[in-house]
Amino acid sequence: MEATLEQHLDDTMKNPAIVGVLCTDQQGHNLGCRGSLSDEHGGVVSVLAKQAAALSRDPTDTPTVCLESESGNILVRTHGTITVAVHKIAS
Amino acid sequence: MGCCYSSDNDNTDQRPEEYKPLIPHPNPVSKPPNGSDWVTPSVPSARTDEQALLTSILTKTAQNIIDVAAAESLLMEPHEYMDKARQYSTKLAVLSNSLPQKKALALPSLTSQPHQVLASDLVPYSDVQQVSKIAAYAYSAISQIKVDAKEELVVQFAIP
Amino acid sequence: MTTAALTAGLERIPDQLGYLVISEDGVLASAGELENDEHTAGVMMQMVRTACRFRLPGSADPWFKRMSVILEDFAYTVTVSGQKVFVVKRHNNQHEPINV
Repeated sequence: MEATLEQHLDDTMKNPAIVGVLCTDQQGHNLGCRGSLSDEHGGVVSVLAKQAAALSRDPTDTPTVCLESESGNILVRTHGTITVAVHKIAS
Repeated sequence: MGCCYSSDNDNTDQRPEEYKPLIPHPNPVSKPPNGSDWVTPSVPSARTDEQALLTSILTKTAQNIIDVAAAESLLMEPHEYMDKARQYSTKLAVLSNSLPQKKALALPSLTSQPHQVLASDLVPYSDVQQVSKIAAYAYSAISQIKVDAKEELVVQFAIP
Repeated sequence: MTTAALTAGLERIPDQLGYLVISEDGVLASAGELENDEHTAGVMMQMVRTACRFRLPGSADPWFKRMSVILEDFAYTVTVSGQKVFVVKRHNNQHEPINV
């Protein structure tokens, strides 16, 4: 059920270090988002994950892409047909 | 499927200018060259079915034919052609001068100390693990949406 | 900075397995496991361009200073400075399989 994903996103946001979360499909369609990450990020997140996949010769070795700044990081990771982005602030 | 970079707003539909012909047609003939003035033969009802069928086939075929001879007005003399080519290139030269130069976006500078930035510690492994878990849970949540197929999605047409 | 000065700094990065220095026109320098690795250079250039489109509300652009791609045994760290993209392949010693 879609409610399961919504619940999962809400639970993720309960972590005080996490200020944003987004879930997108391979085409960049937004499946759900919270906090600092919104609809407009879906496209970039899915493209970034797809491009990163070209760096690994082993298809089981899934890359994690991280955009880093002093105040916090955006981590992007694909699982199966979906990609999530998590905005985590420096603790 | 393109919602990548969905924050971009392409205002294509707000620029009808781009779709206007560069040079307006000198004599806008609205008559299509496929001879719509073709005289459809009248079909006297007294004819046999076979004849009626033949006539209808003829009419249909005639409608699908482009009468090249009737398209005479579209032919161009060599000097006309050269003139038109010149007109287009002048027009294009004027337009391209007024266009902003579209070059590849320059790369923004992310830091002035690349070595230091590259050598600093990697993202904590626990963060990588955390995001993998969030992704895995999200995937399993999505996977619970199941398609309940009631009918065959691909149907064979009956071939006699 | 000359190319030699740029690469000397990269050589000294701990755990580095190789590096690339890329400009708009192509690879300027490469070494180690990334020597002449046009494929990785191309992908990294694309990724940098994509990442630069990632805007965060209320943050100045660009808001991040490094992009990392973390794999099981190694990681790429990437940054942009003076119109050049720097890619360093580093050994990932935080070794432990990810249990999901």
